[in-house]
Amino acid sequence: MTNHKPEAKSRSDEAAEGPDGGWSWPLVGALFVSTSLVFGLMRSLGVFFVEFVQYFEESAQAISWISSTGLAAQQFFSPLGAALCNAYDTRVVVMTGGFLAGLGFILASQATCLVHLYLSMGLISGLGWGLVFTPMVATVVANITRRRALALGLGFSSIGIVSFIFNPLFQFLVETYAWRGALLILGGLSLNIVPCGALIRPQRRPKAPEKVDSESRPSCAEVLRRVASYVELPLLMERPYLTYTSAVTLLNVGYFVPYFHLVAHSRQAGFSDYQSAFVMSAAGATDILGRVASGWFSDLGKFRLLHLLTLWTGLAGVFIMLLPVSSVFGSYAALMVISLLYGFCSGAMTSLVFAVVPMIVGVERVMGALGLLQLIESGAGLLGTPLSGLLKDVTGNYIASFMVAGGFVVLGTLTMTTLPHYFSCTDPPSPRRRSHDDNDKSLHFELEQISRSPSDAGHRGVQ
Amino acid sequence: MKLLWAVSALLLCCWRASASTAPNIITEPSEVVNQTSAVLSCNLTESSLPIKGSHWMHNGKLVDSSMSTDATPYTTLRLDKITHSSSGKYECVFMTDPEVKQTIEVKTLPHVSTHKHSEHGNENDKGVMVCDSHGYPLPTDWTWVKEVDGIQTPIINGTSDKYEIKSTPNKTTLTINDLSINTDIGDYICFGTNELGTSHDKIHLRVRSRLAALWPFLGIVAEVIILVAIIFIYEKRRKPDEVTDDDDSGAAPLKSNSNANHKDKNVRQRNSN
Repeated sequence: MTNHKPEAKSRSDEAAEGPDGGWSWPLVGALFVSTSLVFGLMRSLGVFFVEFVQYFEESAQAISWISSTGLAAQQFFSPLGAALCNAYDTRVVVMTGGFLAGLGFILASQATCLVHLYLSMGLISGLGWGLVFTPMVATVVANITRRRALALGLGFSSIGIVSFIFNPLFQFLVETYAWRGALLILGGLSLNIVPCGALIRPQRRPKAPEKVDSESRPSCAEVLRRVASYVELPLLMERPYLTYTSAVTLLNVGYFVPYFHLVAHSRQAGFSDYQSAFVMSAAGATDILGRVASGWFSDLGKFRLLHLLTLWTGLAGVFIMLLPVSSVFGSYAALMVISLLYGFCSGAMTSLVFAVVPMIVGVERVMGALGLLQLIESGAGLLGTPLSGLLKDVTGNYIASFMVAGGFVVLGTLTMTTLPHYFSCTDPPSPRRRSHDDNDKSLHFELEQISRSPSDAGHRGVQ
Repeated sequence: MKLLWAVSALLLCCWRASASTAPNIITEPSEVVNQTSAVLSCNLTESSLPIKGSHWMHNGKLVDSSMSTDATPYTTLRLDKITHSSSGKYECVFMTDPEVKQTIEVKTLPHVSTHKHSEHGNENDKGVMVCDSHGYPLPTDWTWVKEVDGIQTPIINGTSDKYEIKSTPNKTTLTINDLSINTDIGDYICFGTNELGTSHDKIHLRVRSRLAALWPFLGIVAEVIILVAIIFIYEKRRKPDEVTDDDDSGAAPLKSNSNANHKDKNVRQRNSN
C-alpha cells in the first residue's frame, strides 16, 4: 500500500489538476457563497423575528418555529437532493434549489399570516436549501481530492464570516424597507445560489441505471429499487457507515449547546452582558480560524483524517465539559480561554466531519451518503437543545446541560473509534461500489485510494 | 367661692384640653413651584409625644438618606437640582405614636419626550407616534402640531378619519391613517401642558413607498441573470467539446464512467499501467 501511495498522490495531483483542475477552486468559491446564503442567512434571521412578533402579534415561540421548519426542511430534503443529483444533473438540481430558496423569501414578503411564513420561509426555502447544500458539498468533495479538507474548511468558514456582515445588513434593510421589502431583497440575494450552481459542470448521464432494462413500464419494485439506489439506502446496511452516522448524531446532540447557552451561562456566572457577548464572539472567531487551520493541516497528510477528527471532537467534548467548571470559580480569563479553545476545536471538527465520508463509503456514494447523514442527524439537533434547556430548568443552572452535552460529544468520539481499521496507521481501502464494467472497477479502486479523505458528518457541525 | 373654683377648674380643663390638640407640622415652603433648588423643612410643634426619629418620602418611596433617629422636631431635605424626576409629592414623617406627616408638593414643568425621534411608516398603512411625560404634575392637555417648512398646523382630533389622538396624562398617541408620501412626510410636534406651562418634543415621520424595495430586488435579479449567462457563455465558448470530455473525466468521479475511452483520461491512463 505504501508503494502505491506516492503514485496515488501524484495521480491525485493529476486528477486535481486535470482537465478541469483549475476549475475546482471556483467550486470552492461557489461553496463559500452558497453555504453563506444557506446557513449564514438562516442564522441572521433574528432581526426579522422581532418584526414578526410585533406585526403578527404572536409569541416568540411561534415565530421561532419558522427557522426550525426551515432547518428541518433543509435536513429532511437532503436525501432527496442527493437522489435527484444521482438521477439527474447536479447542476440543474442546485440551480433549482437556489431558485426555490429565493422564491420562498419572495413569497414570504407577501405573507399575511403566520402560516404563510411557515410554508414559504420554512418549507419552500428549506426545500431549496436541501437541494443546494448536500449536492454542493458532495461536488466539492468529489472534485477536489488532495486538498479536500482545506477546501471544505474554506467553504464552511463563510458561515462565521458572513454572519458579521448579515446581521447589521439585515437590520439596515428592515429599517429602510420594512420587513416585507427586506424579505424581497433577501429573496433576490438567495437567488445568487443559482450562479453558484451554474459553476458545476453539467453531467451527461445519470448514475447506474444502464443495467436496468429499458422496458416501457418499469415495475413498481424496479422503480423503488432505483430510488433506493439513488438515495443510497443500502448504505444503512453497512456497519462502517452506520457507526459513523451514529457517532455524528451523538456529536450533534451536544455540539450546539454552547452556542445556545454560553451567553446565558456567563451572565448567570456573574459576568456582565458585554463580557458574555464578547466570549461568544471570541469563540466564533476561533471557530472560523479552526475551520481553515484544521483543513490546511489535515491536508498535509501527516495523520489520518479520521484520527485528527477524533482528536478534535474529543477535545471539543472535554472543553464543553470544562466550560461550566471554569466559570464556577468566577474567573473570566479561564472562561475566555476555554471558550476560545472550544471554538477552535469545534471549527476544526466541522471541516473534517464531511471530509471523512468518502473514506468510509467511497467517493462515488458520497452524494447519497451525505444526504442520508443529514437526515439522520437532524434528529440529534431536535433532541440536543431542548434537552439542555430542560436540564437547566430542572437544575437551575447550566452545569448539568454542559456536562451532558460534553458527554454526548465524547460518546460520539468513542463511537468513532469503533470504526473498522480505526487503529491502523494508514487508511484502509475504501469500499468500492459494484460498477458495471471492469474499467470502472479499477478506476474506482484508484480513486478510492486517493480519496481517503474525511467526509460527511454533521452538516450541522458545518453551521 | 366654691362656684369660682368650679368655674376656674372648668376653664382650666377646657384650656388644657384645647392645648393638647393634634400635633402641628409647619412646612417651609408649603409648595415648590418651578425652582431649580430648594430646601424643604418641617417643624413639628405642639406635640408632647416622644419623637423616635424622622424621614422623608418621595412619591410614596422612602428617601434613604433622610432616615434619622434624632428626637428633634425639626427636619430638612435638601433638593439641589430639581428636575422632572425629582418632582412630586414629598412627605416628612415623624416617628411618633401615631405617626404624623405633612406633604410638600414640588412642581415642575412637564417633561415631554418620545422614544423614537424618527418614525417610519409604510405607504397606505398607518403611522403611529407616541409622546410620553414624566414629572409632577402630569400634563392635563396634549396637543399635536404638524410642522412643514416652519409652518405649523394644528391637528385636531376627530375632524377626519385621517388623524386620531388618544391621550392620557402620561402618554399621547397620534395615529395617522392611510399614509401618503406626498402629504404626510414631515415633523410632528407634541405639546404637553400642565398648570405651570408647556413642553414639547418633535418626531420626524418618514413614509416608505410600497415599491421602494422593488428596485434593489430587480437589480439583484439582473445581476444573477447576467452571472449565469456569463458562466454558460464562457463554458460554451471555451471548450465546446471538452464539455463532453469533462463528463467522462476522472476528476468528478460522481459521474459514471462507463464511456471511458477518451483522450483526456489521465485516470484511464493510470489504469492501463
